[in-house]
Amino acid sequence: MKKFKGLHVLLLALAVMLVVSACGNNSAAPSNEGAASSNQTNASSGSEVKISLLNSKGEIQLQLEEAAKAFKEDYPNITLEILPTAAGQSPFERASALYAAGNPTTITMLDTGDVEKFKDRVLDLSGEKWMEDAVERSVDLTTFDGKNLAFPLAIEGYGFIYNKAVVDKAVGGSFDPNSIQTRDDLENLFKQIEASGVAPLIISPMDWSLGAHYLALAYAGQSEDTAEVAKFIEDLKAGQVDLGSNAVFNGLIDTFDVMMQYNIDKASPLAGTYERGPEVLGKGEVGIWFQGNWAWPQISSFDTADGQYGFLPIPISNNAEDFGNTQISSAVSKRLVIDKEKSTPEQQEAAKTFLNWMVYEEKGQDFLVNKANIIPAFSNITLEAQDPLAASIQDYISRGKTQDSMSTMPADHWSKVGASMQKYLAKAGDRATLVKEIEDYWKSVK
Amino acid sequence: MIAEKGVWRQLRTRLLFTGPTLFAFITVMIIPFFYGIYLTFTNWDGIATTQELVGFQNYGEVFRDTAFWQSFYLTLKYVLFSVLFINVVAFALAYVLTSGLKGQSLFRAGFFVPNLIGGIVLGFVWQFIFSNVLVYLGKQASIPIFSTSWLADPNKAFWTLVIVTVWQYAGYMMVIYVAGLMSVPKDIMEAASIDGASAWRKLRTMVLPLMIPSFIVCVFLSLQRTFMVYDLNISLTEGGPFASTKMVSMHVYEKAFLSRDYGVGQAEAFVLFLLVATITLIQVYFSKKMEVEA
Repeated sequence: MKKFKGLHVLLLALAVMLVVSACGNNSAAPSNEGAASSNQTNASSGSEVKISLLNSKGEIQLQLEEAAKAFKEDYPNITLEILPTAAGQSPFERASALYAAGNPTTITMLDTGDVEKFKDRVLDLSGEKWMEDAVERSVDLTTFDGKNLAFPLAIEGYGFIYNKAVVDKAVGGSFDPNSIQTRDDLENLFKQIEASGVAPLIISPMDWSLGAHYLALAYAGQSEDTAEVAKFIEDLKAGQVDLGSNAVFNGLIDTFDVMMQYNIDKASPLAGTYERGPEVLGKGEVGIWFQGNWAWPQISSFDTADGQYGFLPIPISNNAEDFGNTQISSAVSKRLVIDKEKSTPEQQEAAKTFLNWMVYEEKGQDFLVNKANIIPAFSNITLEAQDPLAASIQDYISRGKTQDSMSTMPADHWSKVGASMQKYLAKAGDRATLVKEIEDYWKSVK
Repeated sequence: MIAEKGVWRQLRTRLLFTGPTLFAFITVMIIPFFYGIYLTFTNWDGIATTQELVGFQNYGEVFRDTAFWQSFYLTLKYVLFSVLFINVVAFALAYVLTSGLKGQSLFRAGFFVPNLIGGIVLGFVWQFIFSNVLVYLGKQASIPIFSTSWLADPNKAFWTLVIVTVWQYAGYMMVIYVAGLMSVPKDIMEAASIDGASAWRKLRTMVLPLMIPSFIVCVFLSLQRTFMVYDLNISLTEGGPFASTKMVSMHVYEKAFLSRDYGVGQAEAFVLFLLVATITLIQVYFSKKMEVEA
């Protein structure tokens, strides 16, 4: 009997140990603290440093993995691991979840507007060499208290993408994108395309496209001075802007009315999906699509125009001189930050080395421009973009014909005002409804 | 002393068997639940290293958030229709498939299959059907109701959600009804037949009352699942067109993670929990009273 009791206790102790040790393992193994301390010992003996990068640009996942291998060839003692963000998940969501789990990546790729939220947790990069070569205004939005916290990874731009084969046929000759400088020019082009037997354009009805890209032109187009634009946003929040009588906003929506009239999906404007856009543009079923240079991989898989595509700005008035009529909207859209909370000094150094590698070394530049089709934000990189859309954006940049895209909008802006734009597109609400919904949204922003 | 020892021994035995489960339950259910309630009193945004206590301010926000109540109302409407149709269809299927039809096991398995597909995949499959297949067929055969995508119209998009939900859950509930129908005692049914009762009479006054326990389970399950719908919502309509089919779970999620108002989002989730718990408890309480003995 006594023996049995002993067994009892033993079993209980075993069960408890099992539970405790299992949990202990679970919490310790993936945490960086464990890994970090082992890294520290490794690094001090002069070998491996392991760093990780959270990628939120899904279309370059494979290229990044290749880049990690190329980087390893140049720096054999640094291993870079690339973690993807699930499609549809916001980088902020994933990064904050990793931080909450105490297991952040060494380098995290964030959208511009999210960097500020992480400012207590990431490294000050003001002293880095690439700061001198970064193009004008590219780090302004990630500089807080005089410290720049993020590496500008990619410039992206958007506007009307035209299929040159289709528009050439429509205008009868070689199409000159500079010939479109006013709304009437644009409507004329639409008419010509229609007359040539092809639908003029497609409006993809995704909320992010309509809200974050199209409507945002109404804010960015207010002034060439970014400080004025920032003030306009503040006024919107304070409810002091009368959008209904704002010339830029009305001009932009007037252009939208024209677009709606020539939309291939006019009968059921909300039925389309993103995937339909590159298909009809690439196959030449429409002449123009409102989208950005990130769409190139998809367009190229349907390409029938021999890679001849380019961008047109969105005209908002009939005066060619107005700001926005000849400027393409572009900005640095993705930033890299380096964690300082859980990463060891060795890991931080290795991460900085990787950033420098991309800017200054041949293989790094090759990855950025040729492999990942990124438009770099550094003036020392002189490689020509391979894809026609990036080349077109680069051309506008080199001519100084750009308008800064809005990249620090409130996080739910695209979803909320995107829904209002969809309503307008489906003609389920008139312009007054749209104005009211946008104004109400801004008043609700804290 | 002996009694004390007995208590200890009893506790020890219980801990031995329930301890591991209890430990898991507490760490993954109870602690997060209460931590979540604690977060409703803070202004945390999901990432900041600091958070302040703000008292009941977040709950005030919940009652001022008209979008939340709108989506709750929409969810109620969706739950009402879904629960009704799921159970009607499921019972009808079960009744037919216990009547001795040829190949009925095969049919049972077939109707159950949709339940094995996850909500996300199912949403994408049906999205393709509604916006491509039906539109194509509608145009070919010129049926006006199918010639434009149902997902582009707020009203029809709502019904697509109901249709897909019914399709998904009817098979599952059918299995429970089949079990219920088979457990109706044969002797009383035989007695009723000898007395000359019609099939309809037997169904109405004997089978249905005896099946109350099955109905309780099925209505409860379908209530709870349709109230919490999220996966289907996001993959089939994405809350669209223009946010007209945003169910309450999706609203709560977006409040917390998209608008980054974690405190308010969490408070809304808690209010939702209370509402759903109340409704389901009322349902179980009242339908229990309807149970009868054979």
